[in-house]
Amino acid sequence: MFTRNLYAVLLVTIFAAVPSFAQENAGTAALAAEVHAKGWIVYGARSDGGGWDLFLTRPDGSSRQAITHTPEYEEAAPRFSPDGTRLLYRRLAGGTRIDHDKWGFQGELVVAEGDGSNPRVLGGEGEFPWASWSPDGTQVVCLTKKGIQVVDLDTKQVVREFPRQGIYQQLFWSPDGKWFCGVANHLGESWTVVRLSAETGAMNPVRSFQNCTPDWCPDSKTLIFSSRPGDQGGYGYTQLWMAEGDGSNQRLVYGEDGAHVYGGATSPDGAYLLFTKGPKDGSGAEGSGAPMGIMRAADAPIITGESAALRALHPDTKDGAVLLLDMGWEPHWTYAEVGKDEG
Amino acid sequence: MICTWRVGGVLAVCAIGLVACSKAPSTGVDDKLSTVGEFEVTAELAEIRGEFVNKPMYDYAFVMKYKVLAVHRGTIDGECIYIGHYNPLKPRSSVADARVPEVGGDLDRFRVGDVHRMALDVPIDDCYMGGIINRYFGEDTGPVYWAVWTNRASRP
Repeated sequence: MFTRNLYAVLLVTIFAAVPSFAQENAGTAALAAEVHAKGWIVYGARSDGGGWDLFLTRPDGSSRQAITHTPEYEEAAPRFSPDGTRLLYRRLAGGTRIDHDKWGFQGELVVAEGDGSNPRVLGGEGEFPWASWSPDGTQVVCLTKKGIQVVDLDTKQVVREFPRQGIYQQLFWSPDGKWFCGVANHLGESWTVVRLSAETGAMNPVRSFQNCTPDWCPDSKTLIFSSRPGDQGGYGYTQLWMAEGDGSNQRLVYGEDGAHVYGGATSPDGAYLLFTKGPKDGSGAEGSGAPMGIMRAADAPIITGESAALRALHPDTKDGAVLLLDMGWEPHWTYAEVGKDEG
Repeated sequence: MICTWRVGGVLAVCAIGLVACSKAPSTGVDDKLSTVGEFEVTAELAEIRGEFVNKPMYDYAFVMKYKVLAVHRGTIDGECIYIGHYNPLKPRSSVADARVPEVGGDLDRFRVGDVHRMALDVPIDDCYMGGIINRYFGEDTGPVYWAVWTNRASRP
């Protein structure tokens, strides 16, 4: 009798689960079809030889292709120029361990075409630290101990310099040119995502306590970043959050208990969100990266997995699709046609 | 008699061993200390406010309070100064890394009451770019110094 009941329970459970599983698959398949032709994602990943190379993929995971083939180097942290025609990234000596928090100091800065061709090394080891693109792609902004430096790419001359005000990593320039964001020691709290006015130097916190990897949304008003809130108890898990540049409207975007979400970025039109999601803290830079994920911005906030504790903290989440791609690290998205479709 | 001699010998060896093992840190001077940093002090670690953060994946500098016992180089005003040490749970001999390649010393661990001879720079933000845990923030501490080199030392 007990066995028969057990079978019945199992059958009910299986049949109840199948539609949900099928819906989930249908949802991710629809998302994959939706994003397939929307440009390319560049990311670092382990190649067959074990070293780090750069890869392009269609946003649905198809047409994956290596764009560096350099066993003598480890390539990391690629970012498309705002028009998508060029890349900048860091190139480390072969065998160097990429550090998830020090990569901006590591290796040489390289600028290449958007498909990875014609790589040009801009400086020596550790030079142009934390370089990222200016809105027009003619300059990079760097973060040094002495301050923030704007460097002209043609002349390699510092054309502007101003205090960094405690910002210590992950500096990015807003698309409208009016702001910088970064991670800072601010008002006695480290790991604070801050916004700095490029015009006046005024700084404000966006979100304090255990935040990192901020990036701008296309509107230059909203930031996407990782946060490990202190309300989880214990070490906690790192989630994807967004907030307005003035610190208002802080909100969960994506999370899962048991997973650390890093590398948040948006598609060029802001309609989709891109991230990595791994079981270990630190985004997998020291290992093989972590699965990359894509979701619709309109579906936020999403919580996946059982995540009972996180769901209790955020009861108003939606059931949007999350499309998981290959293992990667620090992915970035362009709508420019820089890759070659397979077949 | 032989036994007494043997006991005496063993005791002597032990005494020598004890002296060697508990080698007094003395002045704390070494070849590197006087060549780095703008300031050089001998100071007593007066307070470690709160616990160090034990998250090996994350680097940070931790600000500690020192009572200045002697100033050997540069000018330092005030009885107490506040010094940021990089990744304080690591021995100074192995703390240097890609972010902070220039720090070091022979100190293995930080304990309140111990005396250190240090080469320092100031302000910390000009010397170090990373997370800073400063539990004195908002208090009148004066500038926060950056510990470049930290050796054990005896009280002068």
